[in-house]
Amino acid sequence: MSSDIALNDEIILEVRNLSVSFSRGGKEMKAVDDVSFSVAAGETLGLVGESGSGKTTIGRAILRLLPDANTKSEGAVRYKKTYLNTLSSTDMRHMRDRLQMIFQDPLSSFNPRRNVEDIVAEGLVIQGKPASERKSRVEAALSAVGFDLATVAGRKPHQFSGGQCQRIAIARSLAVEPELIVCDEPVASLDVSVQAQVINLLQDIRENRNLALIFISHDLAVVKNVSDRVAVLYMGRIVEIGTGPQIYERPAHPYTRTLLEAVPVVDATRKIEPDGKRTVMPSRNRPQGGCAFRSRCPRATQICAETVPAVTPAPRGQMVACHHPHDEPAPGMAVRTQR
Amino acid sequence: MTDIGNSPAFKPGPNAKLGDIVRHAMPWSSKMKLPGATPFEFLAAIFLVLLVLVALFVDFIPGLVSPKLPYGDFSQLPEWSLNGLFGTDDIGRSIFSRVLYGARTSMMIVAVSTTIALVSGLLLGMLAGYYRGIFERAVDLFANALAAMPSTLVVLAFVAVTGPSVVTIIVVLGIFDIGTYARVAKAGVISQSNRDYVLAARAMGATDSRVLLKEILPNLIPALTAVMPTLMAGLIITEGSLSFLGYGIPAPAPSWGGMIASSTDLLSRFPVLIVGPILAIVLTVYAFNTIGDYLAQRLNNRERES
Repeated sequence: MSSDIALNDEIILEVRNLSVSFSRGGKEMKAVDDVSFSVAAGETLGLVGESGSGKTTIGRAILRLLPDANTKSEGAVRYKKTYLNTLSSTDMRHMRDRLQMIFQDPLSSFNPRRNVEDIVAEGLVIQGKPASERKSRVEAALSAVGFDLATVAGRKPHQFSGGQCQRIAIARSLAVEPELIVCDEPVASLDVSVQAQVINLLQDIRENRNLALIFISHDLAVVKNVSDRVAVLYMGRIVEIGTGPQIYERPAHPYTRTLLEAVPVVDATRKIEPDGKRTVMPSRNRPQGGCAFRSRCPRATQICAETVPAVTPAPRGQMVACHHPHDEPAPGMAVRTQR
Repeated sequence: MTDIGNSPAFKPGPNAKLGDIVRHAMPWSSKMKLPGATPFEFLAAIFLVLLVLVALFVDFIPGLVSPKLPYGDFSQLPEWSLNGLFGTDDIGRSIFSRVLYGARTSMMIVAVSTTIALVSGLLLGMLAGYYRGIFERAVDLFANALAAMPSTLVVLAFVAVTGPSVVTIIVVLGIFDIGTYARVAKAGVISQSNRDYVLAARAMGATDSRVLLKEILPNLIPALTAVMPTLMAGLIITEGSLSFLGYGIPAPAPSWGGMIASSTDLLSRFPVLIVGPILAIVLTVYAFNTIGDYLAQRLNNRERES
């Protein structure tokens, strides 16, 4: 079975040929370039990539949260039977209780002048739910993340720690009972000990409610722990997408391998030789022809400069966009993680 | 709780700081919610509160004579009595009474002009900051055009057409402050729009008007409150200069600028008669600016904390 298709047949979100470009001062920057993937009910898809690889833009494009000005997006986003990208803004608002988002910095994702219970209830207020139902659902959502409404009521966001804020943010998303949550770097701003707590909480909730998650992160280790499937992004394109073991144990794309090599591992016997030569990031405004990674790729040949590699099945079952895919065990962290 | 300043042992010695004296003289001062205020800022706040009270209730001050009717001899020097405190003017009216009634005139102009400016400025600035594009360019052009024109001269031009009129002055001065409020509101909306909570509200399905009014507007209030006193001080100065030039509040209504103008003839003989209205303008403008600085400072501190 090709890994481009979600793990089971009940696909709830499908993204086809999504491209997003931002323009500023006459220059155009392609943030997301021809990206396609799908997510099944109850599945977690990890999106990894370096800064500027388009992870966040993809998440926001799915939820139609990108600014209208200076933004151009193409392609289709289908949620169940609805094409989100063609909905009117009113119809899109009615879909929003099913698609939610969790942000990187929980504190800044709360209005500083609101009480916690009002923050959690906000989605329900917008939906026009009666006050009695709001209260019970807020209470349920808060208790799902380990808070008691009576003890947190009346407190402002800044009175909570980062981890607590992120749990409140999760409660806010859960209150409207969504089917898919886009988690945009949900643990990047938290301490490592708190990260595990929040991730475990997300996992529990996902299993209990059959939630689909799109988990955006630059942290390969975090993504490995939470994701059923992983998509690796480079310069707005998916370079490799497959199940966790496929990606982490037998990465086919040279970029994925570079990323895995860069993950720090506590192992004194392991020495990493730095790359022979330093490479320059190519310009985003005037992209080079062919494969975007070729200027940094040890395997690049003539064909890489001529043709953009299409996403094709790799030997181990994942999908990869490379003319010269690898087929050997992964370097770095995978050595430790293979069992 | 026994207040330190309240204890009978306290005697303001030669080295006592102003703050100690303020606390001693006004033991309730610690209950006022002005955290971190210096004694000057505290006195400025009290002065402004008194000014507003005077403007509202000047009619009920017992023993105060009418500001429009003669009270004593022409150009009486100040004496130790309520109505004679600042002396009398060239037609024998009590200058002290006219200063107090002048506060009403000034406060009325400040209140109405500021309301006009604040409401329109907020509306324009919020639209410009939220929708950007053509809105932003139009509002910027408007604000720049206003900033480029000297307000006193423009009011003079309007007064030349309509004749001296309170309404003209209030409206034109109000329009001149729209630009500043619009800029502050616009900058606030732009900076708030980049915060995730606005995105979160939109992800919840909030409409634009809900985002603007319920999410962003409450977070604009601190910045607007900080610029407001400074603009109010500017209104008092402009109104004063207009009245001084004779194009302000029509006589015989009392106005601080007008009183200074009418006593210039006496200046060589009785300079003390000009002290009252000048003191009123200087103290009021100083108090507004001091409070403005205090609020701006508080705002900065709060931004840094969050």
